[in-house]
Amino acid sequence: MRRRRTMPHLCALLAAALPVMQASPALATQGHGGIEGVYIHQLAHLFFMLSMAILIFRLREERLVAHKGWRYIQYAAFLFILWNIDAFVVHLLDDQLCIVQLSRLNAWQLQVTGPNHFLVRLYYMAKLDHLLCVPALWFLYLGLKHLLAEARRAAPGEKSS
Amino acid sequence: MIFSSLPVWYVDMIGSVIMIVLSLLCLGKVRGLKKLDEDNIIWTYLQWVCYALAVFAISRSAGHLLKQLLLFSGHRLAWSRIQPFSGAVNTFMFMAVASVTIFFERIWKVYQQILADKQALQQAHAELLYLNQNLEKLVSERTEALAFSEHKYRRIFEVSKDMILVTEADGRIAEINPVGYEMLGYNGGKSPVGRLLQEHFADPRDWQRIRSMLSREGFCASVEVEIRRRDDTRFKTLFSGSLDHDPAQHQEIMHFLVKDIDQRKSMEQQMAQADKLASIGQLAAGIAHEINNPLGIILGYTQLLLRGEQAGQERYNDLKTIEKHVRSCKLIVEDLLNFARSSETKKEAISVNQALDDVLSFIQHHSDLGRIEVIRDYAEDIPAVLLDEKKIKQVLINLIMNARDAVGREGTITLATYYDPATRRVLIRVADDGYGIEKKNLSRIFDPFFTTKPTGEATGLGLSVSYAIVKNQGGDISVQSKPGKGTVFTVSLPAKRGDALK
Repeated sequence: MRRRRTMPHLCALLAAALPVMQASPALATQGHGGIEGVYIHQLAHLFFMLSMAILIFRLREERLVAHKGWRYIQYAAFLFILWNIDAFVVHLLDDQLCIVQLSRLNAWQLQVTGPNHFLVRLYYMAKLDHLLCVPALWFLYLGLKHLLAEARRAAPGEKSS
Repeated sequence: MIFSSLPVWYVDMIGSVIMIVLSLLCLGKVRGLKKLDEDNIIWTYLQWVCYALAVFAISRSAGHLLKQLLLFSGHRLAWSRIQPFSGAVNTFMFMAVASVTIFFERIWKVYQQILADKQALQQAHAELLYLNQNLEKLVSERTEALAFSEHKYRRIFEVSKDMILVTEADGRIAEINPVGYEMLGYNGGKSPVGRLLQEHFADPRDWQRIRSMLSREGFCASVEVEIRRRDDTRFKTLFSGSLDHDPAQHQEIMHFLVKDIDQRKSMEQQMAQADKLASIGQLAAGIAHEINNPLGIILGYTQLLLRGEQAGQERYNDLKTIEKHVRSCKLIVEDLLNFARSSETKKEAISVNQALDDVLSFIQHHSDLGRIEVIRDYAEDIPAVLLDEKKIKQVLINLIMNARDAVGREGTITLATYYDPATRRVLIRVADDGYGIEKKNLSRIFDPFFTTKPTGEATGLGLSVSYAIVKNQGGDISVQSKPGKGTVFTVSLPAKRGDALK
């Protein structure tokens, strides 16, 4: 039978408990205030962009773009990448770097202030991001529509629509 | 800079509504795909992408619509409270869309694997279905093909003119074709199956030789072997064989193909004999021609001297002795010339049966046959032969006298004739049950001056001359003999062409 060595275990336990026993302010939970939300939103945009780029790469690698349906989905992914760039730029200019400020003068007018006209105009144009994400969804719809039509043609006993 | 808020407002409001509509339409299409094939993993993947996009689009668009409405209606404070929540949901949803989308590669590989497995399964299923539906027909076809193949090879085995046999590793005969039965001398229900093949080898060393070749190389080709029949007669063969394994019992077996070359060997010997006799004939003709003239002169002068002497006187008797021996020498020389050259023949259609009767009658008058029984076994209705009658009778006299000498005081001589329509030849057989001819002498009996009789009793030219006459007449002469059992001479002569059977 092996002899139990209790002393070394006890010493190790005391050493581990020492920092806990000292009195100091509680630091266990990190705060998430300030600009952190903007960063995570920007990272989410980059992640979305990356996933769409990977999708395009795989579609082309597998030669699926030869089919009309997948080709439209490829266009949708490309427009989503553009949309993400657009949104990323807008958030960068106003929320993250605070270079550009937007204020509503009245119901019909907006005031945009910034270091130069180019950035101001770019910001204003970028605010129209639906011009990119709506066509992206439209191409996705077209892609799915063609995939469905192809699948119906291929399925035995199905009438093509 | 101041801008009109209308473009932004319109694009935001209308775009948000369109996004909701389009995301819902996408969901409708992807549901259609799922309906078509519930188990298609790609459709499931697209469904998850569309669900995530729809939630993203609705949450984002709802947030934008609410923002515009609240700001337009002057409730900025309310929007500032809702904004963080709306933004967080928006962030979370497009992260969800990205997370689902990024798995496309893995999903596509799984889909390809499923497709390949499905195709293999469908193919296997189709094959099984086909086999199941056509099993009876396929079995029937295969059985028929097998039976045909078996029949084909069985026929080769059965009708082969060479012996084909299969033996076990120790040489025990397992299978043998009908020709093999005949070649080994198994008739009347007797079978060689189960007997050792090496028992039929005249020389046991031949079997050892073949066995070692098979062990070393796996086959043996055209090995000359003398085979012994059941009745102890022997014949030459060519042995070819190979080593094999019995597929059922995994034992070593041997296949053999045995070709009887005895006839070929015999023919080769005959050709060699004919060459030898032709050479001897040329030599003898030269010598005989040179001796014949001096002998004629000696005989002439002896007869001239005899005229001047009185009979009974010593000198007369001496001259008579000279005359007698000179005549004997001339006879030998004439025989030699007969053997060596084809003198002019007077061919006429004769009946061999009649010729035999004439010869027999002649011998019975001039020689004592004593207690020798002569059996006449003549075939009737045999065609005439076109021959020089004198010469053929000389051949018959030689053969019958030889038979009489072989039989001795008591025995049987059989004279037989028959006709072979296949070769259109008339055959004369002179058989005796005398002491026979030893094997070593068989190849020499047609040689000039060869005789086993004591010196002075025979010249050794009888069979040589007979051989030459028969050959000159377009015929053939052969001999079979067994010491102690007798001898058979067979003369084969061409039948007269166009002659009806008489």
